[in-house]
Amino acid sequence: MTDGLRDLVAACRQGSEPYQALIDRVPYAAFLGIEITARGEELTFVLPKRDTNLGNPTLPALHGGAVAGFMEQAAIIFLLLEMGEPRVPKTIDFTMDYLRAGHFRDTFAECRVTRLGRRVANVHISAWQVRRPEPIAIARAHFLLSEESATEIPQ
Amino acid sequence: MTDKPSSELTRLDICRRFVASVRHSTELGIEVLEAHKDRVRTRMAANPSLVGNPDSGVMHGGAIFALMDQAGGLANACLIFPSFEITPTIDMRVDHLRAPAPGKAVICDAECYRLSQHVAFVRMAVYDEGDEEGEMLATGLATYMRMKLPGASKVVA
Repeated sequence: MTDGLRDLVAACRQGSEPYQALIDRVPYAAFLGIEITARGEELTFVLPKRDTNLGNPTLPALHGGAVAGFMEQAAIIFLLLEMGEPRVPKTIDFTMDYLRAGHFRDTFAECRVTRLGRRVANVHISAWQVRRPEPIAIARAHFLLSEESATEIPQ
Repeated sequence: MTDKPSSELTRLDICRRFVASVRHSTELGIEVLEAHKDRVRTRMAANPSLVGNPDSGVMHGGAIFALMDQAGGLANACLIFPSFEITPTIDMRVDHLRAPAPGKAVICDAECYRLSQHVAFVRMAVYDEGDEEGEMLATGLATYMRMKLPGASKVVA
């Protein structure tokens, strides 16, 4: 991990930097338009309705890939903030269940770490639009927690 | 391509039309290179806005997931051709075997290996462009629901 990212994570925890700064450094997160809101330390991720994230043009419905990418990025940010000593999470696998159509409206996501091991984290992500208990998609992902410098390109 | 009567449209025509109608896929820059009954080959160019790790320049796993999901839908269309159905994704799992080479396009092959009455079963493989016979970057396994549209069983031009 670069010192820049470690310092940024620390600054976000202390409240001297907004959590959004962690999102804004990732080009793909900006591409999707991801936002982050915090109530205390409870984080909710937001994918604002944007026509560039549309899939099926006739319904219209959000692209499943955009929702998955949003949920994966949410988990990565969540993990960075969850760990005492932040390490770069690399996605090992990502499993998505689509439960309802993603309508053309704002989408929200929250994350829960099921198991944070020394090397591997298991994260559950839930995304909803209308009511939290009615998710449009749930996902389960494993992340490799790397000590290596983020400037090194893996493999 | 748009001038062809529907009876002359090829699988490749149908796939390209379909991708062109999906806004997010055009934003991602997804192209269809080949479309056969049993396999479709798609490409996504490297693009600075798809980077997931600003320190390494590696493409975001989410962008690759979206490519694979789109390619899987096309694989269904290729097998169902010349009929047409909407096939929303039920579930999909992606394993990231290695990081893509920064600044390189990725290729995704998708194959619908079982089409049951209501469900399509699809597998996908992702490669660095130019290394399609080499090591896979990611593999995917997905199921899609077959939504048979009454009165729209044939491809409509």
